[in-house]
Amino acid sequence: MGESATALIRPLALALWGSVLLSSSLSGRLDLLLRGAFHPLVGVSGVLLLALAIQQANRPSPSDRRSRRRWSLSCLLALAVLLVPPNPSFSDLAANRSGDPGGAGDQQTGLEFQLPPGQRSLTDWVRLLRSQPDPALYADDPVNISGFVLARPGEPAQLARLLVRCCLADASPVGLPVRWPRGFRPQADQWLAIRGRMGVERHDGRWQSVVIARQIRPIPRPPRPLEP
Amino acid sequence: MDRLATAWAIFQGLLLEALPFLLIGVLISGLTRWLTPGGLWLQQLPRQPLLAPLTGAAMGFALPACECGNVPVARRLLAGGAPIGTALGFLFAAPVLNPIVLASTWAAFPDQPWLLAARPLAALLLALALTALLQQLSESQLLEPGLLAERRLNQPLHKLGLLERRSGLIGATPPPTPAATGTTATRADLNSVLEHCSREFLNLATLLVLGCAIAALVQTLLPRSWLLLVGGTPTLSVLGLMLMAVVVSVCSSVDAFLALGFAGQITPGALLAFLVLGPVVDLKLLGLFGVVLRPRAIALTAAGASLTVLLIGQWVNLLLL
Repeated sequence: MGESATALIRPLALALWGSVLLSSSLSGRLDLLLRGAFHPLVGVSGVLLLALAIQQANRPSPSDRRSRRRWSLSCLLALAVLLVPPNPSFSDLAANRSGDPGGAGDQQTGLEFQLPPGQRSLTDWVRLLRSQPDPALYADDPVNISGFVLARPGEPAQLARLLVRCCLADASPVGLPVRWPRGFRPQADQWLAIRGRMGVERHDGRWQSVVIARQIRPIPRPPRPLEP
Repeated sequence: MDRLATAWAIFQGLLLEALPFLLIGVLISGLTRWLTPGGLWLQQLPRQPLLAPLTGAAMGFALPACECGNVPVARRLLAGGAPIGTALGFLFAAPVLNPIVLASTWAAFPDQPWLLAARPLAALLLALALTALLQQLSESQLLEPGLLAERRLNQPLHKLGLLERRSGLIGATPPPTPAATGTTATRADLNSVLEHCSREFLNLATLLVLGCAIAALVQTLLPRSWLLLVGGTPTLSVLGLMLMAVVVSVCSSVDAFLALGFAGQITPGALLAFLVLGPVVDLKLLGLFGVVLRPRAIALTAAGASLTVLLIGQWVNLLLL
């Protein structure tokens, strides 16, 4: 490799990492990985890295062989992140965190403002049931929710969402038990929109709210699948 | 295959969240280098065993970055000739003792005033303990060789032993230092500072990738429920949550919100242990520490931090349970 080419490895590596951050910001990839509050920071960092790469490309400087090898590796890693998009199994991730009490990651008790039942999201329902856990209060309320199918070994499949405080690493599942129509077999990770009513069922010796599904519609994974 | 895809996504989540903070840290480090040529200002920082780490810890309020951003800043402090105690105090305490982390702890636990006081206090105590422990090592046993060489370049020759000097004549009077003569070192030009920043960012980013990959794999393979199984047991809960802090590797500015999810199921000592250990020791930091400390010093840090946090957690459980 020529001397001028090797001097460009460092600006190239900077440009690749800048592209990773900027393209993740623009392509919506961050919606799948990070909480919204961090998105501007990632985008601005990408722009800064690209600017630094351009500035450094105009002033190439020599470097030792070890550094060049390390930066070449850095280029390959950045390329891998850039070219292989994340495609996590939410069900697998949530099942791994099933020990989180109450499907937690969230202890917001009570809603400041309660939406009418038909407008509540799955997360709203979970928070409401946690703050006022008397199932009789919600019996026969209309339900209109969406989420992914969370299949845990030895347990009936639930409809769930992931709550994220920072990034996917701290994602915690919240789920609602569902009484699926006879003959319907929910597939793990499948995204569904469910219309139905809230019912009451006895489970492990105590009464609990359960979504009685009347209408189930498969939907694509939403562009912003993580909830704060 | 699903598991591998999930690990890849967690890896990307950790990395994309940490890279901006790393860049902030590197830029602050570059700014320090530019503003304090020759590290003269850094060399004036206190050297007393107690005052030095306290000064370093207090610097966290001026440089509010999480643990990834703190590593390059601490490295710059050390390279510029700052007292070891000050730099280590900053490295270990600043990830908690900064306005962003304290505000997020308050936002997550407004109903637990004891935690708002205990977290910074415990972080300070941990920083003091680790600084005292690591200062038992000589600089050459403690600091990464490249950093040590850079540090010695910025130190006056009369402060170095004969074998530590790489130039000069034995018996000759050392040349006067800029500090002694009252002259100031020339400020590096912005281009060379930016070049240094870019080199440092790329070197640290490669190590960060390694740490994030390990953290993502361990997280995916180790069910979190195992770590929370022991929630109610005083000692085991502290140990379980310490292990969780190391594995989860989440940024110190948001770890309080994560802890909120299981705070009700664990002992108060375990909650504090999670919030104090994570910012100092976690899998994501593993590689980054390698640019500051030698492997033996990293092992000593991990062992010392674990023991101190275990004791703090136990003591809190004794008081509050």
